Amino acid sequence: MTLRLNINQRKGLVGSTLLSLLILAIVGAYYLWGESYQARILYATFVNLLVVVGLQVFMGNAKITSFSHSAFMGIAAYVAAICVTPAAMKAISLPDAPWGLNAFELSPLVSVLLALSITGILGLLTGLFMARLTGVGVTIVSIAILVIVHSIFLHRTDIFKGNQAFFGIPKIFDLPHITILAIAAIFIARLFRESAFGLQLRACADDEIGARAMGVDVYRTRLIAWVIGTLFFATAGIAYAFFLGTISARPFYFNFVFLTVAMLILGGLRSVSGAVIGTLLITIGLEVVRWLETGPDLGIIKMPQMLGLSGLLLGVVIVAVMTFLPNGIMGNREIEEIFKKDPG
Amino acid sequence: MDYVIQQVLNALSFGAEYALIALGLAIVFSIMGLVNFAHGEVIAFGGYSMIVVATLLTGNPWVLMIMVLAACVLIATVLERVAFRTVRGADLTTGLLTAFGVSIILQNLFLLLGSPRPMAATQFIFLDKTLTIGAIRVSSLQIYETVATVVAIIILLTFLRRTTLGIAMRAAALDFEMVRLCGIRANRVIAGAFAMSGLLAGLACIFIMARRGSVSPHMGFDPVLTAFVACVIGGFGSLPGAVLGGFLLGICEVAVQVLLPQSYGGLAQAVVFALVALILIWRPDGILSPAQEKGDKI
Repeated sequence: MTLRLNINQRKGLVGSTLLSLLILAIVGAYYLWGESYQARILYATFVNLLVVVGLQVFMGNAKITSFSHSAFMGIAAYVAAICVTPAAMKAISLPDAPWGLNAFELSPLVSVLLALSITGILGLLTGLFMARLTGVGVTIVSIAILVIVHSIFLHRTDIFKGNQAFFGIPKIFDLPHITILAIAAIFIARLFRESAFGLQLRACADDEIGARAMGVDVYRTRLIAWVIGTLFFATAGIAYAFFLGTISARPFYFNFVFLTVAMLILGGLRSVSGAVIGTLLITIGLEVVRWLETGPDLGIIKMPQMLGLSGLLLGVVIVAVMTFLPNGIMGNREIEEIFKKDPG
Repeated sequence: MDYVIQQVLNALSFGAEYALIALGLAIVFSIMGLVNFAHGEVIAFGGYSMIVVATLLTGNPWVLMIMVLAACVLIATVLERVAFRTVRGADLTTGLLTAFGVSIILQNLFLLLGSPRPMAATQFIFLDKTLTIGAIRVSSLQIYETVATVVAIIILLTFLRRTTLGIAMRAAALDFEMVRLCGIRANRVIAGAFAMSGLLAGLACIFIMARRGSVSPHMGFDPVLTAFVACVIGGFGSLPGAVLGGFLLGICEVAVQVLLPQSYGGLAQAVVFALVALILIWRPDGILSPAQEKGDKI
């Protein structure tokens, strides 16, 4: 990428600024009127936002379904957590870790860089294969990656604690940090989408043979997008570990994958604005449904407790979107083009 | 020697189960290009309807088996009508994600209307007895499973070769538009494919129930994930490929369990999936994939 932005990227800056203002407005509203428990919800939303925007980079632009993102998120979260947790704490939480993993501690910055580079290298290695596969092949191999990583988390309880919590991670990030990360993610993803690579990737998704004939190196563009996507997931994983203070293998599996994929397709695979809007809508929807699930007292009628309602809603959203709005809410449009007719 | 025979039977029965489910996936995929993620929930639906019938009507296992088969065929055709007809002809991702949504809906319906915990349904357990043949002790269920799968495959093959609908379905797998131009109703062919995949799911459901003796909302997920992988290894959309992939995976799984040291037992699934990924990298379209030029799709 050159430093000079092309015309679409300049338009992208406008769009990203609009989305950032939306994010800032939400955070501002929280600081003015919010209650403290909502900080957690907001933080989780922005972690999801990082993941969904990262998904948009590969899955959205290349239009290939991949399910491995929570594996990369998990790897980064564990690497960062193991590096940053004080040695004294690790003596309790990881008493029999091999290779002296419980005998050192690194500064947060070094931990983050280490986690990013390890996940990035794994992303590159898997990407070398992923970029060659097409269609269902990618989906299957991405599921394979997810299952393999998850079994390793569960198997090596001495390092990862399996389904038990790995605790004692210092709380390094707070709401301002994740807000900045979310805004940065929006800008980077948008600039990538409008860059030459992003355009080539979208061209491959529409017509692979045609794109090849125009001189697009399909393999290289897919690989680049895959690795960039992985780094987004890694950042989300690190942010997750640095806020919650405890992590376990369970959240980094299929349920989270389903949730984030639903967010992406509701908003629209093909645009960054779609990813952001989908994340916000589903989060709000789920919060309302979770409240209904606990069986609240609505004054006149007492609602019964209904487990599984949130999942049901998620499924209905996916099917309804696929049936009535196959391109999602935003389709091919970005936020600054919202009043234009959808070209595709 | 006994040990070897037992393990071979193990591999065959695992493989048979995967092949049954994989065939159900492959039939639908070959005709309408849909990766039916909701197939596992069809199996689970069979399990739940078994509980309903057993508590309301009769506990006779033979009647229940017929009911399970009927329930699976019914739900598969209903899903086709309600959810999958609208995405017919859409691209692969749309279909995959729709199926995925349907699967989440059904899972959560089981959760809401049934129970998050497993519910006992032990009527088919009697199929699973330990037989002693000479020095070898085998489970009768494994033999039934292998035999039933082979019989089902033979019946399926005869159906696909001898009947008009069967021939239309095979033709539709090659060129759907041409079949429609020949005056065959598209809806009938696709509904037929779903009904058949439902029947195979029902058969798989009977064996799964005989082994587990209980139903839970997520019971279909793991077998279908594996069967899905079997389909891909064999070549997605190829029916012989699905059977081959199913049995290969069964063999793989048993071999990994036998060869890996006990302490690495938790990694069996990881090793199987790693092998699958390697096969796909070696042959991106699967082992028995139909030859396909990318240019055809334009």
